[in-house]
Amino acid sequence: MAIGYRDLRSKVARAAELLAGLPGEEPLAIISHKSPEGLALVAASTHLERPCLLLPVDLGARSRAALLDQAGCRFLLRADTHAVEEVRAPAAAPNLDGVSLLLTTSGSTGIPKIVPLPRNATAAFIDWAATEFGIGPGTVVFSYAPLNFDLSLLDVWTTLAKGGHVVLAEQDRAVDGKYLLGVFTEAAVEVVQAVPLFFRLLLDAADGRSFPAVRELVSTGEAMPPALAARLPEAFPNARLRNVYGSTETNDSFIHDIDPVAGVATPIGRPIDGVRALVVRDGQVVTGAGSGELWTATPFQSGRYLDPALTARGWVDAPTGDGTYFRTGDNVTRDADGVLRLDGRSDLQVKVRGVRTNLLEVEHVVTAHPAVHEAVVLGLPDDVAGHRLHAVVRLCPDATLNSLQLRQHCATRLPRTAIPSTMDIVFDPFPVSPNGKVDRAAVQASLREGVREHVAAR
Amino acid sequence: MSRLAEIKRFVLDEFAPDVVADDLADDFDLLDNGIVDSLGLLRLIAWVGERYDIAVDEVELTPDDFRSVEAIAHFVDSHLPLLAQEGLR
Repeated sequence: MAIGYRDLRSKVARAAELLAGLPGEEPLAIISHKSPEGLALVAASTHLERPCLLLPVDLGARSRAALLDQAGCRFLLRADTHAVEEVRAPAAAPNLDGVSLLLTTSGSTGIPKIVPLPRNATAAFIDWAATEFGIGPGTVVFSYAPLNFDLSLLDVWTTLAKGGHVVLAEQDRAVDGKYLLGVFTEAAVEVVQAVPLFFRLLLDAADGRSFPAVRELVSTGEAMPPALAARLPEAFPNARLRNVYGSTETNDSFIHDIDPVAGVATPIGRPIDGVRALVVRDGQVVTGAGSGELWTATPFQSGRYLDPALTARGWVDAPTGDGTYFRTGDNVTRDADGVLRLDGRSDLQVKVRGVRTNLLEVEHVVTAHPAVHEAVVLGLPDDVAGHRLHAVVRLCPDATLNSLQLRQHCATRLPRTAIPSTMDIVFDPFPVSPNGKVDRAAVQASLREGVREHVAAR
Repeated sequence: MSRLAEIKRFVLDEFAPDVVADDLADDFDLLDNGIVDSLGLLRLIAWVGERYDIAVDEVELTPDDFRSVEAIAHFVDSHLPLLAQEGLR
C-alpha cells in the first residue's frame, strides 16, 4: 500500500504534536518499526531537533533498559503505534548538542554501543548519497535494512529528503524470498542497497526473471560471494553493480565496482571523496602497498561513542595529525594501485544475516547464566546466513542447562541474530594457549573432529 | 503420535535436539525466545506445508501462527485440506 507525501506530511504533523507534549530535553527512545507511522515519528523528532535513539525492534529487554539508561531517555515510543511509555524520572541527559540520531552497534560487553550522529554528518551523507546514486524526485529506492540501521540513511532518509519513492520491506519477513519478490516488484525499483543475503533470496525467488529498471545495485555489509556476483548481470541487466564498505560509526567510506566474473571476493576498493583512510601496522602508518588495520575518517562520522570510555578505545588521533579516525578493527591489504581488500577482523566479530555480531558480547551473556562456568561462542560458516553462532558451554558443578533455557536467557539480553542457534555441553576445561587465554581455534577444531559429544539427551 | 506431539518432535529435532519433549511447554514462545529464527521459520513453514498438505504459499500467514507448538497445531487444524478434516484421507 503506497502513501503520498501529503499523507506522510500529515502523519509527521500529528507525530510532532505528540512529541511536543513530551517535556524535557532528553533524547527520545524509539522502537524502530519500519512503517509510514514509524518514519513519521522519526521525521517529527528530527524536525523538532530532539535527538532520538533508534532501538532495534528485536533487542532483548535488558539490553534495551541499559541503552535507555545510558542515553538518559525518559520516554520510550513505539514507532508503529506511537504508544508512549515513561520509563524513568527526568534526569540530566548527556550532552547531545547538534546530534540528530543515536544509532547502536554491537559491543563486546553485552551492551550495544551508542553512536551519536551529528546533524551535519547526516546532512553531508544525504547529499553524497543522492548525488552518487542519482536519487531525486520520484526515484524508486528499495529499503531492505531495518530502520535503525545506518543503511536506512541512504534507503529511507536520502530518498525522502529528495522527494523519492521508498519501498519498504518488512523486517519480520526479511528472509522470505517470495514476499521480497512481491514487494520488490510492486514498483519499478531503480536503486537497491542490501546485504548479499537479500540478492540471493530475491534471485532464488525470481526464477530467471530480470529487473531491468534497476540502475544502481549496492551490495554492503559483507563480501558478496563470487558465485552470487556472477548471477547479477543477467538479473539486473541495466544496473551498475557496486560494493560499499562502511560502519555505523562512520557510515560509508569505500566504494568499488563489482566485477561479476572476477571469481574472487570484491575488494572494498578506494575511499569515497572526502574520506581519509589509513592502513596502520604496529602503530605505524603504512604508505603504499601493505597490510594493517584500517582507520577511517569520513565527513559522515559520529566521531565518538556516547560512552567516553568506549570512545577512547575506538576513536584515535591519527599519527598523521589530521584529526580523529575510527579504528575499524578490519585488517586490510592495499595493493600497488591503491585498492584495498579485507583480510578479516582484528577482533572477534562475524556477520550473522548481515548483522555485525561480536562473539565476545555473546560469550559474556552466555557466561552470565548461573549454570554456566565458562563458555566459548563460535561463528561457524553458513551458506545462507553467512555465519551461525554455536555456543560451547562448560557447566558449573551439578548444574543443568538445555538449549531452550540458554536461548531464553540470551533472548532478553541480545538481538535475535546474536542468539546461538546450537549448543554443546562439555565437561573438560577449555584448552588454553600459552598466554593463558582460551584457545578458540582448538575449541573449534575439536568440534570438527567430533571429539565433543553433542548433547542429545532424548 | 498426536499432531501436537509430532509438531513438538519436529521443532525439537530441528532447533533444540538436546531438549526432551517434556521440557518444551506447548505455549513456549519459540520466536521471542530465539529458538526459531527468521530462517528457521521458513523451514518450519515448509515442513508444515509438506507434512500436512497445506498450500502454505496460498494461505495468509503471520509469524504469530508459528509462535508456539500450540499455535502451529491450531494453524494446522484450521488449514487442513477438507478431505483430511473429514477423516476421509
